[in-house]
Amino acid sequence: MRARPASPAAARVPALEIRRLTKSFGAVRALDDVSLVVESGTVHCVLGENGAGKSTLCHLIGGSLAPDTGTLRLYGKPYAPRRPADALAAEIAMVHQHFSLVPTLTVGENLRLLRLPDLARRVDRVADEYGLTLDLGARVADLPVGVRQRVEIVKALLREPRLLLLDEPTGVLDPVGTEALLKTCRRIADRGGAVVLITHKLGEVARTGDTATVLRGGRVAGGGPLAELPAERLVPLMIGRSADSLDPALSGTIGLTELTELTGSSMSKTPQAPADRPGPSALRVHALTVRGTDGTHALDGASLEVGHGEIVGVAGVEGNGQSELLAVLGGSRAPDEGTVAVGDTDITRATPRQRTDAGLGVVPEDRHHDGCVPALSVAANLFLGRLGQFRRAGLFLDRRAMRRAADTVLTAHDIRAEGPDTPMSALSGGNQQKVVLARELALDPLVCLAAAQPTRGLDVGAVHAVHSRMREAAARGAGVLVVSSELDELLALCDRVVVAYRGRLSAPVDPHEPAARERIGRLMLGAAAEDSARASAPTVAAPTLTAPAPADPATPADPAPPTEAITPPTPPTA
Amino acid sequence: MTLSLAPPRPLSRLRHPSVLAAGAALVTVGLGAALVVAAGTDPATAWAALEEGMFGSPYSVGTSLNSAAVLALIATGFSVAHRAGLVNVGGEGQLCAGGLAAAATGLALPPQVPTALGVPLTLVAGFLAGGLWAWLAAVLRTRRGTSEVITTLLLNFVGVGAVSVAVHEEGLLRQPVTSSETLPQSEALPAGAHLPLIAGAESPATVIVAVAAVAVVVTAVVLRFTGTGLRLTAVGHSPSASARLGLPVARLQEGGLGVAGGLAGLAGACLVATAPYVLAEHFSSGYGFTGLVVGLLARGSLIAVAAVSLLLGFLTSGGINLQLAAGVPASSVQIVQSVLVLLIAATMLWSNRRTGAAT
Repeated sequence: MRARPASPAAARVPALEIRRLTKSFGAVRALDDVSLVVESGTVHCVLGENGAGKSTLCHLIGGSLAPDTGTLRLYGKPYAPRRPADALAAEIAMVHQHFSLVPTLTVGENLRLLRLPDLARRVDRVADEYGLTLDLGARVADLPVGVRQRVEIVKALLREPRLLLLDEPTGVLDPVGTEALLKTCRRIADRGGAVVLITHKLGEVARTGDTATVLRGGRVAGGGPLAELPAERLVPLMIGRSADSLDPALSGTIGLTELTELTGSSMSKTPQAPADRPGPSALRVHALTVRGTDGTHALDGASLEVGHGEIVGVAGVEGNGQSELLAVLGGSRAPDEGTVAVGDTDITRATPRQRTDAGLGVVPEDRHHDGCVPALSVAANLFLGRLGQFRRAGLFLDRRAMRRAADTVLTAHDIRAEGPDTPMSALSGGNQQKVVLARELALDPLVCLAAAQPTRGLDVGAVHAVHSRMREAAARGAGVLVVSSELDELLALCDRVVVAYRGRLSAPVDPHEPAARERIGRLMLGAAAEDSARASAPTVAAPTLTAPAPADPATPADPAPPTEAITPPTPPTA
Repeated sequence: MTLSLAPPRPLSRLRHPSVLAAGAALVTVGLGAALVVAAGTDPATAWAALEEGMFGSPYSVGTSLNSAAVLALIATGFSVAHRAGLVNVGGEGQLCAGGLAAAATGLALPPQVPTALGVPLTLVAGFLAGGLWAWLAAVLRTRRGTSEVITTLLLNFVGVGAVSVAVHEEGLLRQPVTSSETLPQSEALPAGAHLPLIAGAESPATVIVAVAAVAVVVTAVVLRFTGTGLRLTAVGHSPSASARLGLPVARLQEGGLGVAGGLAGLAGACLVATAPYVLAEHFSSGYGFTGLVVGLLARGSLIAVAAVSLLLGFLTSGGINLQLAAGVPASSVQIVQSVLVLLIAATMLWSNRRTGAAT
């Protein structure tokens, strides 16, 4: 199965060479001076958290975006794609997270849509070389997700690409599917192809990759042969430490660090410790299950409890059920199973109004879509839910009273707007978020505040303000639930942190314990889950994290013995 | 930000709305003149006939005002639904439903019914039927997510067909067939259900003009100065955020579309309760669709609803006279009207793009 890769001479020319790539979107620098080299015959992993610049990199290689500065070379030749078709012409194949299959057609019909000559021969070749067989007569809609992805990969391989790019390919797969996919990647590399695997899951990297580049905040945080990069070193590279971070994209973290010093100590002196408050906890989520349309579990028996005066954080890579959890809390989505209670009121199937009455404030993840009405004024956004309080002559809206009340709120929350009549859309993101937060905190009684990504995209000052408000709410006795993909934020803010992974919530981690960051990081990446999976399934062999990788990945022309070592044996189900 | 300063000044002056409007008017007049000449008529004669038909006599003014009122009612309803984020394409069907209900109610009344009772009953029946017609589409939208554009559009055909069936079947509303020349239409409504004239016997203008004016003003006030108006606006802009804030999104949407249908139904009732006081096939004369155009052009402004309704109302009755007096086919007036609408829409798009770039 291990065919010799390309000749040694060819192997010396890297498959893909990226030099000093920079790409900005407005003021945001998505990629900053990123360089990396992918050798042919290797699997190169690009690692990073959400927002690290992975997908931007993917778009740049795929030609759907153009870089501001920097160059790409493909097998030694300059490569400057201006549209996706250029990438295809350069024999780069991409497999995206979201499938591009026509569900009502059969697999064979989907493949025919590619309009490739000699289709049957190509399909046979892919089946022979990679062991990727397909039932051409099956309707795509009837296939499980893993098989659909196999179709996508076959689609990519039919073009006999020189470079295969996989963007978060395992996001939708179960462990068995993941295993099969990684084996395919390995085979492609062994046959001399080059594979770029973009992922945030550490287990996969260690099992399949030869080399890795870690992105953080748009910059290369580190990289090299994976043999020299055990998980203990990759995790800090990915997540970063506030202390040695000089990255502008992480300046929010710096603000956070100050905040901890400012208010962290005073917090511990607040009189309302959770134990002081009798009665039920502020928020109780029990065994929540939400099924996605494709039958996968977005939430899979998630349970959680937030006490009065307590701030609980939900960490995790996005897409592990956090959005669904907030959607269930906010009432925009009904759970398939499980219950939600705020104080002593069950709100599992309550309307948003009833939730508000029960004392649940929600700061939605998508501020513009769910949090506010951008076209309306600040005053309208603050009081839309209780216009009944602003009545004049029994019929008319007392806009003057509304304006006055809004002015008070603007001052109290230090919201910078020209006035209460300014449309919400004219405010900066930070001030918009302050408006949303002010509105939700004004609930009476406020039993629990649930906030999703409350500081995303905000500048340091606004981050500070939002954090202070949430602390104040907790100090007044409300429970606060914060969902965030910024680990530093959670560590600085929360009393307890739980980690979402594949729709489940882990046991709480105390952020003050010395190794909390490390533990949470591993839980986020599913490392712990993979550990236990390996423990329970000895057939899926061990040598992932510490296995000897190729001795010198720069010469992949001779990968035979080491590859053997890092290729896991065939899982029994594959 | 800097980009918005970029267009050279002469061009941006050319794009000023008033310049565009003048240009549109010029093109329209030119096209109208060309059509008139093509029909073999002297443009001066044609213009005189058009003017006569629009303003020449109390009769023509009254007819124009009645048409304008019908258009204004439908367009006002469109604006209410539009505020709630729904597009009501079903004015024609709702108008038919309203006319049908009004005719049935009016004919069921005793012949000696007083006007103070007969007219309100007829109009209320029309309003309710039109509202119900639209509410069907609204419920499908809020409960099942069916696009109201499709459902209201399709309900047009059902409404028009229902009127047709009703006036062809003696068991329903057709007048007793006494000879082969009996028209397929209903009997005349009793005198107590006739809309009173408001400008003397010379002019056919009826209370519908006042009703429409009241509808426009009340709607403008509700949308602008009440909590309901603000809630409707919020739902129209962002149903998801409105739901999050506890607004009764479904109820507001159903109400908004229901009122739109109700006003169209009211227009239908007014048409039936105006001379010749019968329900006939094609009694709607396409008002539902013209009203939709008025609503689209006015884009939520009720002042614009009034202005455009008057413009189209007067042009329509002017066109009828153009055919009668000058022999120019009335369809040429329709062509001119449609071109005018197209041009107005195009200029709006243009000036919109300008403001869009500046923000």
